[in-house]
Amino acid sequence: MLSRIADSLFWINRYLVRAEETARILDVNYYMVLEESQQLYKLRWGPLIEIAGERDRFTQLYQEANAQTVFEFLAFRNDNPNSIVECVARARENARTIRERISREMWEDLNGLYHTVMNFDADAEVLAGPHNFCNVIRYGAHRFTGVTDSTLPHDEGWHFLKIGASLERAEMRARIVDVQYHNLVELSSDVGVADNHQWVAVLKSVGAYEAYRRHYQTRVEPKQVAELLILHPQHPQSIRFAMTELQTALRSISGTGPGAYANEAERLTGKLLESLRYASIDEIFEQGLHQYLIDVQRTCRAIGGQVARTYFYYAVGA
Amino acid sequence: MFDGSGIPRLHYEKMFERLAGMEIENFEERRRVADLSFLLQGITFTVYSDGRGTERLFPFDLIPRILPNPEWQRIERGLTQRVIALNLFLQDIYGPQRILKDRVVPRSLIMSCPHFRREMVGVDVMLGIHTHVSGIDLVRDSKTGEFFVLEDNVRTPSGISYVLENRLVMMRTFPRVFQQYEILPIDHYPSELVQILRSLSPRGGDNPVVVLLTPGIYNSAYFEHSFLAQQMGIELVEGRDLVVDADIVYMKTISGLTRVDVIYRRIDDDFIDPLAFRPDSMLGVPGLMSAYRAGNVALANAVGNGVADDKAIYAYVPDFVRYYLNEDPVLPNVATYLCSRQQDLSYVLDHLPELVVKAVGESGGYGMLMGPAADRATIDAFRDAVRANPRNYIAQPVIGLSTVPSYDPAAQRFAGRHVDLRPYCLYNGTSVTIVPGGLTRVALKPGSLVVNSSQGGGSKDTWVLRGES
Repeated sequence: MLSRIADSLFWINRYLVRAEETARILDVNYYMVLEESQQLYKLRWGPLIEIAGERDRFTQLYQEANAQTVFEFLAFRNDNPNSIVECVARARENARTIRERISREMWEDLNGLYHTVMNFDADAEVLAGPHNFCNVIRYGAHRFTGVTDSTLPHDEGWHFLKIGASLERAEMRARIVDVQYHNLVELSSDVGVADNHQWVAVLKSVGAYEAYRRHYQTRVEPKQVAELLILHPQHPQSIRFAMTELQTALRSISGTGPGAYANEAERLTGKLLESLRYASIDEIFEQGLHQYLIDVQRTCRAIGGQVARTYFYYAVGA
Repeated sequence: MFDGSGIPRLHYEKMFERLAGMEIENFEERRRVADLSFLLQGITFTVYSDGRGTERLFPFDLIPRILPNPEWQRIERGLTQRVIALNLFLQDIYGPQRILKDRVVPRSLIMSCPHFRREMVGVDVMLGIHTHVSGIDLVRDSKTGEFFVLEDNVRTPSGISYVLENRLVMMRTFPRVFQQYEILPIDHYPSELVQILRSLSPRGGDNPVVVLLTPGIYNSAYFEHSFLAQQMGIELVEGRDLVVDADIVYMKTISGLTRVDVIYRRIDDDFIDPLAFRPDSMLGVPGLMSAYRAGNVALANAVGNGVADDKAIYAYVPDFVRYYLNEDPVLPNVATYLCSRQQDLSYVLDHLPELVVKAVGESGGYGMLMGPAADRATIDAFRDAVRANPRNYIAQPVIGLSTVPSYDPAAQRFAGRHVDLRPYCLYNGTSVTIVPGGLTRVALKPGSLVVNSSQGGGSKDTWVLRGES
């Protein structure tokens, strides 16, 4: 397989998962805030910009973070390279450069999503609220995964798609838990509010609320939410789950067996996964949740760099 | 489609009956579904006016152009002869140059052609094939019904993907009409082409590595490149995917460098290798020409073919047929004035308002004067340009292009529109394969004679019937 094609496959899913994650957060935050006091209202929108890692760009464009400005910025602005429309456009652009290597169904599905997204009227959607738009993105991303799994041979190319998706999922999940924990636990205790309905919203934003209920059957506790989203072995929204998928995909490509690694990307993945398998949530809290999640994000970025170095890039002229 | 009295010609009758029995809403709905299918497949071109780029459809006209078999057979004979003669000409001009010594073509005309590549002189191309794929543009005189060759395209002709996709969309749109006609199939094109490409491998063997080299996603024919690569099951590569080491071409894969044997390149000569041609080209592969000349990689089409489809040399192609094959040309040329000839030049300068003037190296409807439609200032500008560089221009009388029925969406009715025809010819070194029909381009603006997609033209499916009707 051409390196450029592997590179594009990787990025198709990174962008799509980024769009999907952004859509989830926007949607849930919007409805969570509706039930809150005016005082908290302003506190709730800023963190979304932190999750997207776009504070500087945002403050250049807007006076304050509120439902309208954040929605517009994260969903529609084409000067925000991580906005949903930009992510979908880039995913589709990557697919277009390799459309002869993906299935016709995948291309037509993603191209259809692109045209749907481009046809939204941003001003009207900002007024109407994000639910409809975000649903189109979420189900669009799910459908693309389904179309991919059932029409593309599960060979090297499919594994590169998996690498992109799982790496982006792990990193976004670490960021969401980190920022929302800080936002909801630390900031909220400062203003004297201790409510758990925001945590319900966080769970819903990643599609893990029902799973939480079945697993814990108690009121929603921040620490258990963190446990579910970081360490749960089977829930597809946990960091551990994403890292397991990443390891499987990396090993399928290099043909490495358990207990060994063929390259730096596999070594870093294995190391992080071991810590996720054997750490308890209490230990993580003891050493500091924030630091732990920052390390996870850093490792994810390092793995991305190593995947590129191993498979995508050639030294100039060779 | 109609004879002089307004009665549909025999081979259009069944189509006409089908349409006459259809409500306009029903027809519009089918048109909408067809357009949507082109949009979803991304068969579009991009207009960059708003920063993000807007995608437009190539207009597709749902009324097919129908050719009875005997008409097609004559076209096929004429094209076969022409393609073989063009290939012999290229072998000769980059080899012994007999045709120059015998003074059939003036040496100065060849040597002044910018597409004549001295780098190719003496290069033995694989199996002696230069014109693996040719797209020969034909027009039909509306008065006599005779087909003429308007121009030869033997560099990197595009459009075949539209031919194949148009057919698929038509089969989905009017399945019942397909049952009523016996239409010759066209879907063997990709397998014929890949078979030729595989036969070119310098290493021989059963598993040559064949790739399609594209300038990339921003090229207007990108859809076609990716479509053909997919249909042929070969890798679609960009210049940056390839590297040349010690005159061997490799592609960069996730498991290291893999040797490449055959390149179906859809990049112009000028851009193919920055070391040999344009040094500012970012699209090509440094060292490719050297690997090609060393015989370690095959290119299709061959480098230097532009000397055969130069619009001034076009005037001599019927002479090539006589010279190399000792046959009379089946398909005539359109009468052509070469401005490099003194007597032709003075005629052209005196008759600009009646003529079509073309720059010899251009294609796609660029660098062209439509005398009867042009204003005074444009004509004067062309007069100056022709005077300044006569070798660069030819002129032809305006051909009354034939019309076929087409749908006018603004008026919601059917009307005659001017068309041309580009059949695609594949040459394997011994025989020529032509998929029946080709690309019918149609000037959708009322009265317009310009069919290029860059100038408001569209396309139609082209049916060659198994019999007369």
